[in-house]
Amino acid sequence: MNNLTLPALVSLLFFPGGLFLLAGGLVYEYIDRKLVARFQNRIGPRWFQPLADVIKLLAKEEIVPNGVHKGLFIALPVIGLASTLTAALYVPMVGFAPAFSFRGDLIVVLYLLSVMTLCLGLAGANTADRFSLVGATRTLTQLFSYEAPFLLALLGPAIVARTWQIGEINLYAQNNLWFVVMQPIGFLVALVGLMGKLELPPFDAPEAETEIVAGPLTEYSGRGLALFRIGKNVELVIGLTLVAAFYLGGIANPLDFLWKTLVLLLVTAALQSLFARLRIDQTVGLWWRAGALLALLQLVAIIVGQMIRPLIFGG
Amino acid sequence: MEMKLDPPWQRALEQIKTWARVNSPWVIHYNSGSCNGCDIEILATLTPRYDLERFGIKLQGSPRHADVLICTGPVSLQSRDRLLRIYEQMPEPKFVVAVGSCGISGGAFQGCYNVVGSIGDVIPVDAYVPGCPPRPEAIIHGVVALLQSLQKKDAAPQSVEE
Repeated sequence: MNNLTLPALVSLLFFPGGLFLLAGGLVYEYIDRKLVARFQNRIGPRWFQPLADVIKLLAKEEIVPNGVHKGLFIALPVIGLASTLTAALYVPMVGFAPAFSFRGDLIVVLYLLSVMTLCLGLAGANTADRFSLVGATRTLTQLFSYEAPFLLALLGPAIVARTWQIGEINLYAQNNLWFVVMQPIGFLVALVGLMGKLELPPFDAPEAETEIVAGPLTEYSGRGLALFRIGKNVELVIGLTLVAAFYLGGIANPLDFLWKTLVLLLVTAALQSLFARLRIDQTVGLWWRAGALLALLQLVAIIVGQMIRPLIFGG
Repeated sequence: MEMKLDPPWQRALEQIKTWARVNSPWVIHYNSGSCNGCDIEILATLTPRYDLERFGIKLQGSPRHADVLICTGPVSLQSRDRLLRIYEQMPEPKFVVAVGSCGISGGAFQGCYNVVGSIGDVIPVDAYVPGCPPRPEAIIHGVVALLQSLQKKDAAPQSVEE
């Protein structure tokens, strides 16, 4: 069950890296919005909606407000998008082997995905607007709260597979019992952690439009806003791929990729429409009191299990 | 920094831009001194029953993200500066829809000591939706008519019959 490989330039510009991922992000945003709309008994957007949104934003005037560092204001969306696109090179996108891979790339991918959130926080803190500042504070607070549990949750499969390489964990997951059965707590924490990472509804306090206008992106218009939106979409695809590769028995081929990520998307869309927004202190409390503890418990269980196993099976 | 391409390509680019604009109007809603009747109707328009996401219409909190300013009520002395500020914060291209009789002429508040006048007296308005208050269908029709006028490159303001 070996995955296919691609030449480097193709993987950078077109297939898992560049254009494909941008298009994939738009498709997944559409599916997410449509699912949430159907859950809310609405008809929902048309299939080209995210594309129209992005083109419109790119064609719009970009206002650089007074009191911001101009270079940072322009560079941050680009850095955020670039880091998420880079992260895609290390995950088994659409069932192909990761374009690049080395020992410990799991940690690199997690940090590359965090750079996106960090850029969002810096973009908010960069402007003189109070709503952006509050949004930036909340974004960074939330980053610190979900990051540890999410990392712990992804460490579970890595410890069992005895490797920190995403490609190898993916292979291990394909050839063994699904991790969602072996480590149900870890799966739960990883999935909810992904929603926190993407600031999806129960955890959307950083961009709560009823309180702080649009959070850190309040002052962004046109190009910057479009790039941040694309970055979020790409992060969604990568996050779903990671969780599917780790917990849902790996991603062996494109069909595998499609149905596993879509099932995950269905679950996250249902959770999005089920729960109302948590206050930022509730989010932090949930992650540190419940999420981190559960993830730690899972980790302890794995380690104890690995110590006991040789004693029972004589391995 | 406008880049000019060869005429056929430039035309195609303009067509794509117009297509995207028509299909993704994000709105912001401002009450410049209305009695709240029109605002309730606008909120009703945005509920799942009418589901404006079908047309790509989304309510935005920040003027920086919005394309269409939906404005209700006569402009009072207090709200005049705020209305101008919100309008100026919106990035080009931007459009204004005046909803309700008061937005068109001042309505019942015409001639009041604290009223500047209609919305058209303060900022350029692209579409008027009459009614006191207009029904959600009329508001949707107003926005859609505005978008259709974009497609025809007919920037002249037009009134929409209920």
